[in-house]
Amino acid sequence: MTNMQRAKKILAGLLMLLCSGGMFYDPENGLYIVALLLSGSLIAYGIRCLSLYIFMARHMVGGKAILYRGIIILDLGVFTLSMVDNPKLFIIFYLLGIHAFAGVMDILRALEARRYRAPSWRRSLLGGAGNLAVAIFAVIAGFFLHSTRDLVYLYAACLVYSACTQIVTAFQKTAIVYVQ
Amino acid sequence: MQKDFHYYATYCAAFLAGYSHEDALKIAYSAQFVDCCSKTLLSKLRAPLSAATTQLQLELMDARTDIIGLQDITRIWASFHFLPGNLHAEVQSISPLYKSKFRMICKPNGALLSDTVELAKGGSLQAVGLAMHVLADTWAHQYFAGTPSLVINNTNYYFFELLPDGGERPVAFSHSPGSPDDPEKGVYNGSIYQGSENSIMNLGHGRAGHLPDYSFIRYKYLPAWGGYREIVKDNPDDYYHAFCQMIYAMKYLRGGLGAFETGHYDFEAAAPWETEIRAIIAKRQLIACEDWKALGEKLSDCQVEDFELEKYQEEYMSLPREAQGDSFLGRFFLAAMAQKSMVTNKIFKSGNLLAGFSVDYAEKGFRGIKDYMRLIEAVKGEKSHD
Repeated sequence: MTNMQRAKKILAGLLMLLCSGGMFYDPENGLYIVALLLSGSLIAYGIRCLSLYIFMARHMVGGKAILYRGIIILDLGVFTLSMVDNPKLFIIFYLLGIHAFAGVMDILRALEARRYRAPSWRRSLLGGAGNLAVAIFAVIAGFFLHSTRDLVYLYAACLVYSACTQIVTAFQKTAIVYVQ
Repeated sequence: MQKDFHYYATYCAAFLAGYSHEDALKIAYSAQFVDCCSKTLLSKLRAPLSAATTQLQLELMDARTDIIGLQDITRIWASFHFLPGNLHAEVQSISPLYKSKFRMICKPNGALLSDTVELAKGGSLQAVGLAMHVLADTWAHQYFAGTPSLVINNTNYYFFELLPDGGERPVAFSHSPGSPDDPEKGVYNGSIYQGSENSIMNLGHGRAGHLPDYSFIRYKYLPAWGGYREIVKDNPDDYYHAFCQMIYAMKYLRGGLGAFETGHYDFEAAAPWETEIRAIIAKRQLIACEDWKALGEKLSDCQVEDFELEKYQEEYMSLPREAQGDSFLGRFFLAAMAQKSMVTNKIFKSGNLLAGFSVDYAEKGFRGIKDYMRLIEAVKGEKSHD
């Protein structure tokens, strides 16, 4: 990683910590921050697609599809931004989708690692169970307990985890040693 | 390529290059082991994870696609399966990142192939086998890059199989991993379209399924990077070239030739067996292990045992750490780290950061991933013996 890439990771991690701190401090308004973050990510992704088209995919066979996708996602991001007044459903589905997928992937990895008798299967299984638990908790908190506060705490806790991962990886040694 | 070529055909080529039956088996084992040495396996063996030469399907699905994850993926796939053909290739400049990705496209007879063979020179049989895997894959995997990239590795509906009777038919790609390919109906598995540039679905020849791995097939398609110019891939011819180049390279590695030059093939050594070899290569079958094995046994008059993944694992695990480097797998792991270190260094020095940073030990001392300390110790040990 270049120093700039490390700095970007640290900065992203600190921003995430700041946002999650705000959510823990004021969970009622925290919900709006979450919705803004999610809409903002969609808009950023749309812009990324457009820049991918401009700088890389313009001459690619079938590259126009990336341009159309960028426009649609950008539009969707702007649209969801107008819905931040009612963000609860938005967050439930986000947490459910992301963590259920990650949970299933982790469990499949654990089964594969176990077949190889690799000790890493326990860690993967634990990660999978944790992710599935977050997804289930999001559904319970959102649909059954109607607890906005719990949803925000859950999202904030996941954000803290991501922030820590970003910061830790920024300090990871990544260079390959070359010996002649 | 698959086990049929990496194990059995490599055995045949090694034997024709002059290696004994026993040595040819070790070379073939090492060539095939490149497709098995995943981080999952290494963690079971408690071996350095940096020696990984492949990633299992689920490891890939689970792999991070942030900068660290992408560099790790690129180091593995570019070093062992998609050796870049020309790190200084010129391309109409769209952006520096596009240029970097374009330069990772695998092609045979590149400068890195010479470097790979030279690295194995004077090394272990494991290093020879590993180099033969890399060499053979440059033929099968050409036109794809060992880094996730939609703009390089994508393919579209314009994909036709060229049939032996001179006709052609569209290739139907299904997306259900686990279901077998059906060459009779022309239905093959391929990775699903994923519009994200760095998606793991866009790594190597995933979008073209296993077609590059089948020796019998000929096809034409539009590579994403080719500016709508059609490519005709003639696997039977490419595989024969790969086989003859392996013989040539191994003759050099045994010390029988003065220098290794790209674009040279030992057609002469293969000539007495050409009809048989071409028949095996052209036979419409998904795996040709039995045929190659029969040829190997005919060549050496010895039984060619089947590839057993666990064959050398007990030996490695039973040894103390200091002695592991002298075991069969220990030598393979050192050869793998040396290859990864060399390829990463060449990519880095060409100004391309897709495989990450490389630190020259001679200039800056030890800085970086600590697994490589084993490689330094091994090189120092070799130098003190000399």
